[in-house]
Amino acid sequence: MTDLLFLAFAAVTIGAAILAIEARDLVYGAAALGIAFLGVAGLFFLLDAAYVGWFQIAVYIGAVVVLILFTVMLVGPKKGETPLGLKRVSLLAAMLVSLLLGMTGALANATAFPGPDSCGSGCDLSLFSTSLLKNYGVPLEFMSLVMAAAVIGALALSKTDRGQ
Amino acid sequence: MLTSPLFLEIVLFPGLLSIAIIGALLGWLERKVTARVQLRIGPLYASPAGGILQMFADLIKLSFKELFVPENSDAFFFIMAPTTGLVLGAALVGLIPFAPGLQIANIEVGLPAFLAIITLSPTLILLAGWSANSKFPFIGGLRALFQQTAYEIPLWLSALGVIMMAGTMNLGQIVNAQTSGWFILPQALGAFIFLVTSVAEMERLPFDLPEAESEIMMGWQAEYPGVLFLAAQGPGFVKLYAFSALFSVMFLGGFLGPSFLPPLFWMLLKTLIVIVLIMLLRSTFPRVRLDQLLRAGWTTLLSLAILNIGITYLLVVGFPTF
Amino acid sequence: MVAQGIPEIGSYIAFLFVSTVALVIILRLFVSPRDPRPTPQKKKPFESGQIAAGPGRTRFIIQYYPYLLMFVVYDVIAMFLFAWGLNLRALGASGSLPVLVFMAVLLIPLGYALHLANHRENW
Repeated sequence: MTDLLFLAFAAVTIGAAILAIEARDLVYGAAALGIAFLGVAGLFFLLDAAYVGWFQIAVYIGAVVVLILFTVMLVGPKKGETPLGLKRVSLLAAMLVSLLLGMTGALANATAFPGPDSCGSGCDLSLFSTSLLKNYGVPLEFMSLVMAAAVIGALALSKTDRGQ
Repeated sequence: MLTSPLFLEIVLFPGLLSIAIIGALLGWLERKVTARVQLRIGPLYASPAGGILQMFADLIKLSFKELFVPENSDAFFFIMAPTTGLVLGAALVGLIPFAPGLQIANIEVGLPAFLAIITLSPTLILLAGWSANSKFPFIGGLRALFQQTAYEIPLWLSALGVIMMAGTMNLGQIVNAQTSGWFILPQALGAFIFLVTSVAEMERLPFDLPEAESEIMMGWQAEYPGVLFLAAQGPGFVKLYAFSALFSVMFLGGFLGPSFLPPLFWMLLKTLIVIVLIMLLRSTFPRVRLDQLLRAGWTTLLSLAILNIGITYLLVVGFPTF
Repeated sequence: MVAQGIPEIGSYIAFLFVSTVALVIILRLFVSPRDPRPTPQKKKPFESGQIAAGPGRTRFIIQYYPYLLMFVVYDVIAMFLFAWGLNLRALGASGSLPVLVFMAVLLIPLGYALHLANHRENW
């Protein structure tokens, strides 16, 4: 049963991702991206990570897809215009992507990233919360710096756009 | 399988049929309450008792209108966006514990799940407004999008206050954590922020810019004929029901109450009180403009929400001793 | 991170979706009338009686997009704050220190954004 669900969610994710790239109308592409994120959320639920799954839905579909939709709707190509054709760099891109996938596959080993708390099936939310703050406190601070930089960068970009 | 408790819950209560009936009754209630506030009478003729079947009459009338899509519009999103919105609104009710054991889905992370589902709703409104290929619906959809950016973060942060006090994200356990006192007292600020931001979430007055009946003629719902109009309006009432129930669960102790009446009664009573309160806001406040809302959301509401987190932190952990 | 209750909500949403789509299809096929002689004005966009001029999807409100960018980042932050708030009683003050630093760091760009918002009327 779990295998069937996994295949279903994986098929939805990959299918929607292909649709997102190949769609003529970019709004359909963005909506397909939302479906792909829904498939990823389903995979999170299968991995018993309900917390991450729900926030995947809330943040990715609720915020990122909406941002993409807004951009596409307002400043995207009109219906009928084709998006940019990038035939020449596509070969280089394909090589880079396969290299990346190969590296990821080699690293996707159960012992690749040993963490201080591999709790198996006894995980629960309070353990997740405690380990996040106690064991991963420093990465948390780095992440806050990255996010602060992202926000300040976005605001600065919007400032220079106006030429002021 | 057909008589399993889950299936009965899904179809009857608190699921599909009860949501449909309650949604219709709330439509009638809204018209009656706003009518009384405006010194009118409201629906009167559609039944023996004060026009209570008015919404059902509307439903039957709308079913017999032709379903078409405007030309040059995007038929797929035009039909699917409000339909999915209706599904999501009804899905919210599935997360609420109406009585101990009377809950369709007892999710361990129930509160973020509820908020996550409701976060998807403005996306659907944006798609619906875009799909009609008409100016007013598109403006309505864009307004819904920007309105979401204003209220969403204070909404999440005010819910965080409740989680900090209860120590759990499970809605049933949040109710049980209030046996020694409802959260509305220590979380008064959080409750206020939650109420204001959920009214904004539901796009009700005073935050109904995306609909804006007098301004952009029903906004994103303008082009919807027949039953699809109901699919566009219906989620409003279903979300009202779901959010009022969530407010009762989070701040008013849910189904807790003196035991001479069943817990379900207390839950429904508290939900009804919150619903009427929100309906009273409709005729009382003027509409908030978008830039006013964005500014207020990111300054006032966010600061109050962070202050609420600070207060809750001190209440739970205690004052720091240096 | 227990996936308890997920199958129930999944089947509930699936049931709702199927029944709503089925209802719309049934209504469209059987109940709603068809118009044998539609007028040319029938399917045009409705603009209070005016004849629609210009495209329907022009650039309308784009000046508020910085709020959208901030919204995305702070939505992610909400996820971490929820993970912290859940275990507050067990963590206490010492365990909350990383999160307090986290929040303090992220209040700085918020202050910058509000400073910018005060100095420009369009936001």
